[in-house]
Amino acid sequence: MKILEAQSAVLTNFEVYSFIKRQSKKSGPPSLQTLREELIKYFESHPGPLSQRPITYKDSSIPKLLERLRKYEITKGEMIMIFNLRPTTIITLNTVIEDMEDRFTEEQQQDIVEGIVEVLGEFPPTEEAEEEGDAMDMTEAAQ
Amino acid sequence: MFILTKISDLVQVTPGDFEKKSRQAIEDNINAKYSNRVIQKIGLCICMYDLIWASEGLIGHGTGLVNINVEFRLLVFRPFKGETIVGKISSATPEGIHIRTDFFEEIFVHFKELPESTEFDHNQKVWTWNMEEGEDRIFYDKNEMVRLQVIDEVWHDQAPDSTADDAAEKAKKISPYNVRGTMMKEGLGVCLWWDG
Repeated sequence: MKILEAQSAVLTNFEVYSFIKRQSKKSGPPSLQTLREELIKYFESHPGPLSQRPITYKDSSIPKLLERLRKYEITKGEMIMIFNLRPTTIITLNTVIEDMEDRFTEEQQQDIVEGIVEVLGEFPPTEEAEEEGDAMDMTEAAQ
Repeated sequence: MFILTKISDLVQVTPGDFEKKSRQAIEDNINAKYSNRVIQKIGLCICMYDLIWASEGLIGHGTGLVNINVEFRLLVFRPFKGETIVGKISSATPEGIHIRTDFFEEIFVHFKELPESTEFDHNQKVWTWNMEEGEDRIFYDKNEMVRLQVIDEVWHDQAPDSTADDAAEKAKKISPYNVRGTMMKEGLGVCLWWDG
């Protein structure tokens, strides 16, 4: 075995998910079949954006969001995280953008979040939270 | 989280696989060799992504194996330093919190990488955090989904360091690839705290 290029590309979770989904109909060694199932389970776990139904990601989402956020000079690594984690609040955006408060004004931060929601969608509010059934909250509310 | 790594290798197709299409036989061969294995300093291999090139097959003398030189790209799990990822708490010790994904178990956040005023509850074996003074402590409960930022990776070559009988066994016990993370920044930690 010889490594020709350690990293020839970086893929977003959506690209990996689509690839694995297509592959999962094919056969393969048992270790790979288990691995495929585990990957799909991981991607489809809340709060991962790929767990949302109907799915909000399309092949065109990537170029569309790149275009929408072009003016902010977000790095490639940060864009990958935006696609993978879909931060839809400023607090979660803060976990993927380095030095966010130095680089962007509050208005710009808000606009980035809005851009993400426009292109990648977001979990429906409140109803979803109730369905997800946070047991702690529910018992507290009952008391 | 995922990268493509370009590799060249020699694939040996056994006579038993001759009934398969060559493309399929090559892919199965590569997947059997690499899938779910760690390559040092590369990451956890998932499977072949695409086949770039394959030579003519040459039948080896005496073995009947068909030797094919191939170049392909492998799909690899390798979160980059500084990347924020999501995982599930698998256990907690006074040293810190162990986190896993469904397909990768070796993620660890040392207690020094937890926010201020976190404490380990020895009875319940769980880390707790006093997010705001005067309010109840919140828990890093087992099985909670958490966001963490990757700060380091630890590699361990599983090749035995001696020819002693137990050397190979010993080397295999240390996992080959470990991810170290932090949950210090605002927004990291249990997802529910921030998303609710």
